This record gives sequence, structure tokens and C-alpha cells, in this order.
Amino acid sequence: MKQLWRMRSGSSGSMAARLLLRSASRAAAAVYSRQPLPAQAPVRGLASGGIPSDDEQATGLEKIVLEASKKGTDPYNILKPKEYAGSKQDPHIVPSITNKRIVGCVCEEDNTAVVWFWLHQGEAQRCPSCGAYYRLVPHELPH
Amino acid sequence: MAHQAHAYHMVDPSPWPLTGAIAALLMTSGLAIWFHFHSTMLMTLGLVLTLLTMYQWWRDIIREGTFQGHHTPPVQKGLRYGMILFITSEVFFFLGFFWAFYHSSLAPTPELGGCWPPTGIIPLDPFEVPLLNTAVLLASGVTVTWAHHSIMEGERKQTIQSLALTILLGFYFTALQAMEYYEAPFTIADGVYGSTFFVATGFHGLHVIIGSTFLAVCLLRQIQYHFTSEHHFGFEAAAWYWHFVDVVWLFLYVSIYWWGS
Repeated sequence: MKQLWRMRSGSSGSMAARLLLRSASRAAAAVYSRQPLPAQAPVRGLASGGIPSDDEQATGLEKIVLEASKKGTDPYNILKPKEYAGSKQDPHIVPSITNKRIVGCVCEEDNTAVVWFWLHQGEAQRCPSCGAYYRLVPHELPH
Repeated sequence: MAHQAHAYHMVDPSPWPLTGAIAALLMTSGLAIWFHFHSTMLMTLGLVLTLLTMYQWWRDIIREGTFQGHHTPPVQKGLRYGMILFITSEVFFFLGFFWAFYHSSLAPTPELGGCWPPTGIIPLDPFEVPLLNTAVLLASGVTVTWAHHSIMEGERKQTIQSLALTILLGFYFTALQAMEYYEAPFTIADGVYGSTFFVATGFHGLHVIIGSTFLAVCLLRQIQYHFTSEHHFGFEAAAWYWHFVDVVWLFLYVSIYWWGS
């Protein structure tokens, strides 16, 4: 069973790596190498080579996303969400910035009829069609 | 700062799409006016408006990405898709002209003398200036790759040097090609040979000029510290475009200059 608010993602790996590798892998026409993974490559900054690094110069939302990925969080849901069993013990965790959020449940794979319902804060609710458990969890946006 | 719960960029309202559309209208209708009524004013106005639109629109994109940080990884991915799709469309554009060339040259009509090059056409020697041009563009492909690696390794001086060298090689190609055009023993009016030759190589030359301009903008941005060692998509897009221009030349050289001679 899948939920429609989930995104698709590429390969596994560290979060920062996935963020940059996915975008870097688009360089189909380019013969040469990809951008280095910030967590691993020893990138010299403004002081030595003369070209700033993202750590030094990123600003705005890009900086917020970068800082969060270094901490291992994904506040803007860039990556594919975690898979849950959907049982009472392991409900689907639905982050929300308010106290309710719409959920679309694709009860079985390839179902074309999506079951939509409001999920409210508090106890876990069940999908009216397949009975999977969903729980709303408050989600803070870095501002 | 951001009250959105996603990492995408909802762009602020902008006048440049409208000015761009108006400029395109003025350029095209101005072209028709020039053809029929010998006045270039409307077309010139359209051209000026187009250049102003391009300058301001792309300046705004640089502001949004580099100075305001709106180009998060998903946004950058979209820009990559966009550039790839654009280059793909340009590939199809050139494919049309290659189709025209091969249509006429594979089965030359009796009016041409049943041969290719047609009777009376003295083609350019592919092993003289055209071969030099090939070497120049291939070398520029190497220098632009050198520039990319320099950026990724944080080497400012080398980036500026290799990028400047790439642009110089582009100018050298353009100058050589301009001289070839001037000295050529045939013109665009010389039958289908002239048409296919000058339209295909002419559009290619225009793309070399566009690519050189794009790289020059990247050089200015690099000097002003816009690029970081991880995030420099403007440069990557320019480099992709430059490689595309190089590849088109290789096909032109092999098909029109060499096989077609």
C-alpha cells in the first residue's frame, strides 16, 4: 500500500549525497565528473583556493536545507518519506505544520481510487477503506 | 524567511515574460516590414527589447539563486532538466538542416550535374581552415572541462584562466569562420550547395556566438564570486551548451566539409 503524499527518490545513501547526486546525475551530456559530496570531499574554501564553498556562501532557503541535511533532518520533505507498516503499533507518521492534514491512501498497489480523508491531531486514525493507521505529528519549519 | 513547507521556488510576479513576448512580436513583424518596406526601425526596436528582456530576466534569476538562496537542490534539478530539454530541442533544430543537406547531396539532381559537389562549385578544402577550426573547438572543450574541475577544486585563478582561454578559443573560431565566409568561392545563392552550406554553418556560428556570450557571463560571475565549489549550475549549463556546439561542428565538419567535398 502506498500513500500519495510520498515522493519518489533515487538511490540510497547519505541524505546530503542523495540531494546532490540526484541533481548532479542529470548531467547526461557532460563527459566529466559530478559535484563532490559535501560530506566527504575535502573542499577548500575561500581562504585557500579562492572559490567559496556552499558552507561559506549558501544563503536563504538553500542554506536552511543544507544545514538541515547536515544534521540529518529533512524539514522540506525533499526525500522520500520513511515506510511504515501502517499497523496500530507502527502507524504511518504524517508530519503537519497545522493540526490537520489531508491524507490520500492508495490501499493496494495500483489502486486508481484514492481514499481521501482529513487526519486530525491526537489518536491515530484508520483509513475508512483498508484500515491502515495514520498518526499526525507536529512538524516545525525552520524559519 | 520562508513560510512555505516545500523546497521549491514560487517565483514573484515579473514583467519580463510580457516584454519578451512583445519583443518577439516586434522582431518578427519588423522583419516582414524590412523585407517589404525597407525600414529596419521596428525590427531594431524588437531586437533592443529582446536584449533588455534577456538581460533583466537572467539578472533576476541570478539574484534569486545566488543572492537570495532560492535554488535548493530540487530547484536546481528542475533547472538541469530545463537546460537538457532546451539543448535537445536545439539538436532537433540542427537535425532538420542536416536532413536537408543529405536529402540534396545523397541523390544529386540532373540540374546539379548529377554529382556532389554540384558542377561549378569549388568546395573548401576540409584539411585547411576547417580542420584548424575543428582543433580550436576541441581544444576549447578541453579548456572548459579544465575550468569545471578548477571550480570544483576551489581553484579561483585557474578557473578564471581556463574559462578566459575557452572564450578566446571561441572568438578565434568565429574570426576564422568569418574570414572563411568572406573568402569562399561560393555564396548562399549558389544553388542548394550554397543554401545548405551557409544555413547550416551559419546557424552553427550563431550558436558559437551565443555559447561564447554565455561563457563570458559565467566568467564575469566567477570573478565576482558567485559560484561555489559545489553549486555552480550556471557554469555547468554553459559548459553543456558549449559541448553541444562542439558536437554539432564535428557533425558539420564530417558531413558537409569532408564527405561533401
